[in-house]
Amino acid sequence: MSAANAAPRLRPNARTLGIGVVLVLLAAFVVYAAQREMRKAAPEVQQQEIHAFSQPRPAQSAAEERFAQAMWNIHAEVRTAAVRMTFAGLNYKMGDGDQTSIQTKVAPLTAVFRQAETELRALEAPPSMQPTRDRYAGALVLYRDASQEMIKVAQDGKEAHLLKAQEMSERASGVLLEVGEELWPGEIKPN
Amino acid sequence: MRQQVFKALTGAALVVAAAFGTSAAYAQNCSVWLVENSRFMGVPFGAFQPDRSYVQGSTDPKNNINTVDLPVNVGVIKCGKELILYDNGWNQTDYHKATGTDHWSPLSKQIAQLGFKADDVSKIIIGHGHWDHAGSLDEFPNAVLYVQAEELRGIEWALNYPGHERIRATNVDKGGCSRTPACGYPPKTVDSIYGKVLRGKAVIVNGEMEVLPGVRIHPAHRAHTAGSQLLEVPTAIGKLVFGSDAYSSWEAIRDWEVANIQQTDSVQQFLAYEKCYKITGGYQNCVAAHEPLSYTDKYPLTKNSWVGMNGGRLAEITLAPGETSRKK
Repeated sequence: MSAANAAPRLRPNARTLGIGVVLVLLAAFVVYAAQREMRKAAPEVQQQEIHAFSQPRPAQSAAEERFAQAMWNIHAEVRTAAVRMTFAGLNYKMGDGDQTSIQTKVAPLTAVFRQAETELRALEAPPSMQPTRDRYAGALVLYRDASQEMIKVAQDGKEAHLLKAQEMSERASGVLLEVGEELWPGEIKPN
Repeated sequence: MRQQVFKALTGAALVVAAAFGTSAAYAQNCSVWLVENSRFMGVPFGAFQPDRSYVQGSTDPKNNINTVDLPVNVGVIKCGKELILYDNGWNQTDYHKATGTDHWSPLSKQIAQLGFKADDVSKIIIGHGHWDHAGSLDEFPNAVLYVQAEELRGIEWALNYPGHERIRATNVDKGGCSRTPACGYPPKTVDSIYGKVLRGKAVIVNGEMEVLPGVRIHPAHRAHTAGSQLLEVPTAIGKLVFGSDAYSSWEAIRDWEVANIQQTDSVQQFLAYEKCYKITGGYQNCVAAHEPLSYTDKYPLTKNSWVGMNGGRLAEITLAPGETSRKK
């Protein structure tokens, strides 16, 4: 092929020019659309509310540490008793026991919650920990009332008692978590 | 006589074919998403996977990672009109400081990012009853909970253990309980499971159960806890098996290593891994609860991912025919 023959082919005609313009416009449109999408997506992520839950906490004073330790011993008993109480109800619902078995299992737990409350109130709490102690004492009252409510099933067989007791117990369990988070921040580990 | 035998055989063949045909048509493919309910930050790798404990100065990729961030993954499974959660994370913000958590949001809000309402969740199947997998039940009042009876028996066995107090303790020290039989089940979590039972919104499962056509619970007792259970789900990319903490780490399933030993019998954990290999034909479709590589190309099943509220990630794993993408 000679250079003289090739030259006219390099010269674009109107049709080629037209296609070229269309292609450039299309490419520009694609770039514009992509940028627009990216602009739309980016702020969405940035605007997310970022919760910073893992803030460092101030160290406890010696008095607070002593109180937390003393409460821990009570808490260990309460926590196990609370789960036992739940299982008394679960067993009954799963057919593993009759009405009287609830009374047999739960009545000793009422005593545990009562005893825990007495011990807790006897603890000397530093002023900063008094609201915490009061909240925990409130949870113990809820647990105690829940246990007494459950026992009523043995008398009349009405499951409404169990529902009422479960609601109280779950509220108390929530308080245990709140207090635990404050006093024993390593209590719960990833499982 | 020969004709009668032929007719009988043909009839039998037709019955068998009809039975298979019905069963095949009955099972439907499901759509599946994965949601990162939260992320435990900076967990020592050795505490999660003992075979990958950090060794200072080691150049072995198995031993040169000090800490890992562990997602808490929840499966969102849509089969026809049924919306199922496999595990349900947790929603008590009091756990945050205790566990060094990030990326957390309430699960009901997280699934809203996929266009689902909390009230639409019809079933919640918990792989086990630990607080970080059974902690959002109250957000889904209409959902029926599926839990293994063995899971409940296991906790109660520990509570009533007559010997050393450590065995029956629900917590053993302020630094957090671990490994003891009743550890990981705070009163709040057990109360909410009980609440479902009391309200007639729970199915106590004994072993294997088909909850929907083709969607099948498999027991994996002691593979993480006493009553761990897996979930087989039919999808357009083949069967998936969700494993909760029996499948804590996808890499561990691939490499046959134990992971996240709590109330775990390592042999049972390996048998649970094998179950996924058998059902799915390999390890790619095993869905892990805490795999650090989740939502990346290195865990291919979960790579189609994006970032949602509070940095929590989501993945669209597979869509059933006719289902449109919910990826944003």
